Amino acid sequence: MRLSNRRFSTVEHRAKIMAGSSYVAVPEDRILLKLLLTELGLSSPNKPYVADRDDCLYRPRSPAVELRLNGKATLWPVLAISQGPLILACLPLVDIPSEPRPPLASLLSVSQGLTFLAGLQTFVLGSGGKLDREGLDSRVAMLPPLLLQVCPLGTPLDTIPLAGTPTAPTAPTSTVTQKQPAWKTGLYRGRASVNVAVVETVRSMQYGNQSRQDTWDVYGTVTCKCEVEGVLPNVTVTLTLPPNGSPLQDILVHPCVTSLDSSILTTSSVDGADGSAFSGPYKFPFSPPLEPFRLCSYTSQVPVPPILGSYQLKAEENNLRVSVSLKLHESVKNSFEYCEAHLPFFNRNQMAVADVKVSSGQLDVSKEKNLLVWALGQKFPKSREVTLDGKITFSGSSRGPSDPLCTGLTAYIKLYLRVPDTTLSGCCVDQHSVQVYSSAKPRISTCKSRAMISKHFLCFYPYVKLKVVSLCGPQPENFSPKSTTSGIQLAQPPCPPDRW
Amino acid sequence: MATNWTERIRAFCCSPSGFLTETSPDTFLSELLRELRDDRVSYGVKVLLLSPLCEYPTLLCSSESAGEETALDLMSVFTQCPSRFSQFRCHLLVALTGVLVCSSCVNGHSRAALDFLDLLLRMARDASDPPGEGTRRLLRATACDCLREMEASCPGLLSQRLELLAGLRQLETSRLHQAFGVLQILALRNAVYQLTKQAGAGAAHLKALLGGNGSVAWEADQEAVHMDATDAAMLSSLILGPMGRVPTLHTGPDCKELRSVLSSLLEESYLLTPLCQAALFHRLTEVVAMVPGIPPAVFRAQLLRLLGTNEVCLLHVTLLMKCGFTDSLFSAEDEAFLLKRLVVLSQHPLLSSPEKLFYMDCILHFPENRPISCGDSDEAPPVLLTPQLASVLLPSVFNDSATLLSRLNLQALVFLEEGDEESRGLAYIYDHLAALLHIVDRGGSRDIVVTFFRAAFLFLFYFHHVERYATCLSEQLCHLYLQHTRLAPHILNLVNQTQERLPECKWFVGLLQGLQRVITRVPFGQLPLHDLSSHLKVLDRVAEEEEICQRSSLCFLSTIVTQTSSSLCTSGDWRLGNGLLGVCRRVLLHPNLDSMLIPLADILQHLAFHYGDTDIRDHARLYYTFLTMLSREKLSAVLVQSAAEGGGQVKKRTLSCVMAESEGLTNTLTVHQTEKPIFQLTEALPGPHQEAENLQLNQEDEYKTLECYRAQFSKSGFASLIVLKYHLTHTEPHDPRFEQLFSIQLHFSLTDDHYEELQDISVPCLFRQGPPPVVQLTLKPRRPYPTTIHASAIFTSKDGLTWHTAMPDIHVAFQQVFLPLPAPPTWSRASTRDVFECLWDEMRHETGESCISLFCCQLGEAALKALVEKHFHSFLVPDPLEEAAEFRALLFLPPKSHMLLKIGSTEDAAHFNMATDDCRLLPQMNSYLLKVTSSLENSVS
Repeated sequence: MRLSNRRFSTVEHRAKIMAGSSYVAVPEDRILLKLLLTELGLSSPNKPYVADRDDCLYRPRSPAVELRLNGKATLWPVLAISQGPLILACLPLVDIPSEPRPPLASLLSVSQGLTFLAGLQTFVLGSGGKLDREGLDSRVAMLPPLLLQVCPLGTPLDTIPLAGTPTAPTAPTSTVTQKQPAWKTGLYRGRASVNVAVVETVRSMQYGNQSRQDTWDVYGTVTCKCEVEGVLPNVTVTLTLPPNGSPLQDILVHPCVTSLDSSILTTSSVDGADGSAFSGPYKFPFSPPLEPFRLCSYTSQVPVPPILGSYQLKAEENNLRVSVSLKLHESVKNSFEYCEAHLPFFNRNQMAVADVKVSSGQLDVSKEKNLLVWALGQKFPKSREVTLDGKITFSGSSRGPSDPLCTGLTAYIKLYLRVPDTTLSGCCVDQHSVQVYSSAKPRISTCKSRAMISKHFLCFYPYVKLKVVSLCGPQPENFSPKSTTSGIQLAQPPCPPDRW
Repeated sequence: MATNWTERIRAFCCSPSGFLTETSPDTFLSELLRELRDDRVSYGVKVLLLSPLCEYPTLLCSSESAGEETALDLMSVFTQCPSRFSQFRCHLLVALTGVLVCSSCVNGHSRAALDFLDLLLRMARDASDPPGEGTRRLLRATACDCLREMEASCPGLLSQRLELLAGLRQLETSRLHQAFGVLQILALRNAVYQLTKQAGAGAAHLKALLGGNGSVAWEADQEAVHMDATDAAMLSSLILGPMGRVPTLHTGPDCKELRSVLSSLLEESYLLTPLCQAALFHRLTEVVAMVPGIPPAVFRAQLLRLLGTNEVCLLHVTLLMKCGFTDSLFSAEDEAFLLKRLVVLSQHPLLSSPEKLFYMDCILHFPENRPISCGDSDEAPPVLLTPQLASVLLPSVFNDSATLLSRLNLQALVFLEEGDEESRGLAYIYDHLAALLHIVDRGGSRDIVVTFFRAAFLFLFYFHHVERYATCLSEQLCHLYLQHTRLAPHILNLVNQTQERLPECKWFVGLLQGLQRVITRVPFGQLPLHDLSSHLKVLDRVAEEEEICQRSSLCFLSTIVTQTSSSLCTSGDWRLGNGLLGVCRRVLLHPNLDSMLIPLADILQHLAFHYGDTDIRDHARLYYTFLTMLSREKLSAVLVQSAAEGGGQVKKRTLSCVMAESEGLTNTLTVHQTEKPIFQLTEALPGPHQEAENLQLNQEDEYKTLECYRAQFSKSGFASLIVLKYHLTHTEPHDPRFEQLFSIQLHFSLTDDHYEELQDISVPCLFRQGPPPVVQLTLKPRRPYPTTIHASAIFTSKDGLTWHTAMPDIHVAFQQVFLPLPAPPTWSRASTRDVFECLWDEMRHETGESCISLFCCQLGEAALKALVEKHFHSFLVPDPLEEAAEFRALLFLPPKSHMLLKIGSTEDAAHFNMATDDCRLLPQMNSYLLKVTSSLENSVS
């Protein structure tokens, strides 16, 4: 376990003055680490019950935890975010009276800390979110000099650069009187181009059960990469919906968007559906940063899920009878980049014999022999329906993975698919609607693409005794600029759902 | 050398206190400064050398004067450093800021701070950037940051420079304008705050302030500016919610100048990074809140942009703005919109989990325009948050545990507000809890188990009064327990916490009864032994409750003892036996004991005759005797006796307690930890050092004297010990539990390797009223340096419990290591004198580790004499000419170092000529002399 940290003496000095007698000094690193691990529930992983760690009274008020020091003193609020092998934590300054303890919501330093930590996380883990041990070590070793640049005295003001060390600011030409935005590290020179891509992700849970409602939702992101000359060029991107499309909801925009129409923000998923809701066009005027960025994101309520599935399991003497059918909705374009269905089996031995027939596509048994992978290829057949039927015998020597939810005949199918050049909501960016106002009036070439992908697309066998409202959200995808012209290649390796 | 420093700096940063015990802060600081000045050291290493100064300036510069000196040194390093090493120069500025702020030089208006400010302002203003060179801009940006930090730590510092700062920001077209902007708004905010504190200040003052371009505040007019370093209020945020009071400045509607400054800042806010924008809006909100002449509507143009943002800090600052201005900026519609927005954000699929949790927290502390309750820190859902709106935040089993618990808490609060016990929402929450329980039942991971019990506690905390669900939960828990007896500690924890936190709620009794029921109904044939120990633990807890009838427990015990005698009694498992006895012991104390006499007696008798473990048999017999021989009162007197004396916590222990594993055994066998130190070692006044007997012997020649003296050291262990005497005394305030202590075992651990490990010391007893026992600490130095020794003790209190306590650290000062010359007792004064002469002569040549040094200070002759009498009396070496103007002292520092002093005075200065055979002692000696002489100077003056 490696620890890298930085203390800011002047901030500590102010904390001491403000907190007065209730000031709690930050303990030395070793103690700090131990307390943090206990608080995050990571200490003594082999003991089933540790009073300090598992007391039911204690609710970790993430994202800010409280470290209980010797005696009554507590160190609060310690912001901690962990991902994989990395835990990032910071202690924001409490700039209002600390007795009685103020709510987190009244400390601006908390949200600033969260932004700061998120920036550090992206810096260390990179865009993919996964790093090997060495890569991680080298990134962590780069933190101290980075911190001295973006946050020399404990007040984070600059954004943390994505790639390695921050670029030295380049001098603007002397003739320009326009001020350079602080979030723009330099100026672009060359041929102008604007790339816009819309990607929608659909999540669905289907139970095949009258008493339990199926759920599905769609969220979309619009990512841009703009190469436009000028200190503060203006670009406008407009999203449009088809005539009867359901309005975009919960729109969040990048801070580089200069102004917003209030009607764009008013539609939200928590309101009841309202026929009079604003349904576009959605105009986003902005001045682009140099790097690719997520211009906006939205959610949408589409009337049907793109694929309806049913999954039946039946236990017979020594084997399990499996039958699956998947039906592609007629409104969805029947042309996939990929489409795979995964059928994992938990709490069982390995598969011995899988005597299974499919009406279309190819079937594989995973190396670990506890997962059926059904590759459906690029197209559903004309009937838009595919089926899988057969028997599986579990008598392998070793036990497969276990899961507390999928016991007995409870199981699920997970679908991974990607449909290029279509969005479920119908939202698109018209090439002609992209406007660029630049001092030099350059030739504009815009490329657009859109795609629909699935994430956690699940069909449950109707034995589940659970109510499912929503899934925990996925991590934001990262934009890869190379792929803008040919549709976004989404890093979506087939893997089991996050928690299972 | 470089690697050496890397290691040392790492060692320092890992544990500064540990590192500094081996060297003094002054020494380390002077080493750092020397290296920084050294041209041969690379700048990469120098950057590293600055990190202790950046991170721990208070440790290294403990006083204002030390801080000032260090700052002056660093500034000279800065001026000498070639400008191409901009990285290092930036680090230097940061280190300087840290040193000056933390050693209170900035607040103390010291010269160094003033010089540094000048330097920073000069650098900030210096826009003559050679084209294509970004390095100077980096330096300017750092200078701005340093200025902002100094203004933040010492508010009002730049209040006279507002026009300059505004000008700098406006002229700057590079990204640097951000640094200037943030600096300007902070200075402006502090300046306005100061004005609000001045009686009669108004628009004219404000105008003068904004146009002011004088010097740094304290230099301009010491009197005009009230700068109180300890005014915490000035450092604090002014936006505190509905109850917060913001000091105001009455300017009337005419404050054009301020308005134009604010609008220019607002206009350019878009050009700042989100973090900076948030900081800027926060300060702007404060300024506008302090000046009622400016309407909050100035922010209106920015609002839509802020409300649509995906940046957590920008939306947060909008919430704070709402907190500050309520309906003067946010209409009721805006409020409803903002709340909906928060709900959306709390579950938005594209936001990270910490962000969503934070938004959920914001919902529970939503700054309402018309708050009903006053703004205490309790969580309360806003009125506008209807169950229908909140329904998108219903917990699900797919949530991570923090999200799940937060959502559960929020829903519970919403439904509680609604007050409808029959609502579908409550049913949903309960179903959800049941779903979690199912997962636990099916073998969920540790994380899920812990989460479930926390969720259960939350549910009970809010809804224990809804009988239907409480009963249902209790039943399901009993069922769960029977399937997974390993959950016993979790369930008992839930029982104890509900009992403690919900004193009026008797739910836990019901649960315990249920547990008793399910345990006692298990057919004994289906009872695995490993479950039995959990069952006994639970039954033990059940028997604690007076309201629960223990008959079925006894039946159960009787069954397992008699019917399974083949396995349980013959196995003679001591732990299980103790479990059994624990339950019996609790039943002995139960108020309904009379009705259970016979079954209990049967069980005890059976145990006493048939159990496979002698210890258990003996104890069972003892209990049996108690039960049959003693009256009720005596029985409870023997077994419990909560002694009335003291805090009620004190329980007398009798030997019989050893038996009950659940309480008595653990209590008596466990070493308890005291919260605070109970006693301490205070230095006993040293008696006079034993004077060498003054025998006149034959004068040997000088050379031989020294040889003879040195020969003694060949004996192992010669003169190698230092004996320090301490009194063991109670600390204040005293705790009645610890009035009388016995069998105290003192344990010492070293913090460095200058001394050999110390032996434990036993003290038979310590009474508060009696004379303090004397403890002799025998130290065996390897190197005669000052040290800190951690001390702890184990002792027994009057009630028989064993305690462990930490004691205050023992600091062994340098002078405590001094010993008189260990000359043979038969030696004459003259021989001592000879040794002194010879040693001095040797050391004067500074060979090897030897060296000489001189310490001077201003002391009159009389004062010097007094000082020598006081501190060096026992080390004086007699002079052949009795009344010479010079004192000679010979300090022996075990195991084999010497420090020779020739102390004399000329006119008004005292000279301490020193010679030693271990030059590493000089810094210590120096600080010791500094201490003793300065204390004398003070007392004289």
